[in-house]
Amino acid sequence: MLGPEMLGFGVEWMNSEVSTGTTIMATQYDGGVVVGADSRTTTGSYIANRVTDKLTRITDYIYCCRSGSAADTQAVADLVKYQIDFHRMEMGKEPLVKTVANIFKQLCYDYRDQITAGIIVAGWDSKDGGQVYSVPISGMLQRMPFTIGGSGSSYLYGYVDANFKPAMTKEQSLQFVANSVSLAMNRDGSSGGIIRLASISKDGVERHVLTGDKVPKFYEDY
Amino acid sequence: MSILAYNGAAIMAMKGKNCVAIAADRRFGVQAQTISTEFEKIFEMGPQLFVGLPGLATDVQTVFQRLKFRLNIYELRENRRIKPKTFMSMVSNLLYERRFGPYFVEPVIAGLDPVTSEPYVASMDLIGCPMETNDFVVSGTCSEQMYGMCESLWEPNLEPDDLFETISQALMNAFDRDAVSGWGAVVYIIEKDKVTKRFLKTRQD
Repeated sequence: MLGPEMLGFGVEWMNSEVSTGTTIMATQYDGGVVVGADSRTTTGSYIANRVTDKLTRITDYIYCCRSGSAADTQAVADLVKYQIDFHRMEMGKEPLVKTVANIFKQLCYDYRDQITAGIIVAGWDSKDGGQVYSVPISGMLQRMPFTIGGSGSSYLYGYVDANFKPAMTKEQSLQFVANSVSLAMNRDGSSGGIIRLASISKDGVERHVLTGDKVPKFYEDY
Repeated sequence: MSILAYNGAAIMAMKGKNCVAIAADRRFGVQAQTISTEFEKIFEMGPQLFVGLPGLATDVQTVFQRLKFRLNIYELRENRRIKPKTFMSMVSNLLYERRFGPYFVEPVIAGLDPVTSEPYVASMDLIGCPMETNDFVVSGTCSEQMYGMCESLWEPNLEPDDLFETISQALMNAFDRDAVSGWGAVVYIIEKDKVTKRFLKTRQD
């Protein structure tokens, strides 16, 4: 049969970029930050990886959440990590979250026409404690008490505006992020799989994974 | 994005021992957004004859309505139930009439002959090219995944309960690797004297 495959166009997944169309989130609490993400990577509509780790380590105390093109965000994160490793050796102490965020911003802004990268930078440093910085597609930089990103975040604006409270504990923040990511996974085709969480404080990183039944459930029988 | 992938769907049918099964996901979405998890894609055309319609949702509903119309007239004229093989030709004809402006559906047919109760499955492309098989048929946005699952899990002469397990696992594990299908599933097991409809509990992502 003469389908598009035969005529040299290729099937959809052969011609589509690998995307972490996704749901990512970070929130600040007293003493640190919590970051969270889904685990789906798609090539077109094929789920290429259902257990992706979108929470990428820059330093032991600073992580970034990646959304957009998988290749672009991995390349940018690798570059930032490299520069920060060097910076840390020169300074002799842990880098500031603000510094990492600014390096991300500079790369995302300078190459904004060539890459698709929506990044959230979050971490802890001894000067300003827990901080969350949003570096969306265009390459701006904004510090925020909490932020959401990725294609699934569209479904969360109402929920997070209604449920965020300024002085949450670590446990409340973890629940808040888990609930939000779960809700987005339910509606967004490009988000799904498991929920990866990480809390970062002066004691370092604590990673959690929510699989299967542990993913928060909301009303499903319409 | 291809028009056949705009709404997303996953449908398959399998032959068993004196029975057939047809199963589909339940998602209705618009590209990446899921709007409903109760969308019907399998339609009853006779007591032991079902058609599954994956593809563009508006055409799913229109093709069903027009097909039902033609089927009703057939049954009034002939004064009997249609055979699955004849029904397949009816669907093929309806689709080919629109050869140069087609309906964006690629149907799957499953049923038992009304007289002999022999199992029958068939599928076709959007312009009505039919394909009858002796094992299974698949159609939808994750057809490659479904082919892989069916090819590994299907075996001949499965009893109704075993066929249910096989088709459920084949469908679920296929659409769990597709971003635009899933969000629930429905399985029909069609035997000579009864049809059992079951909903599967699936991942909602």
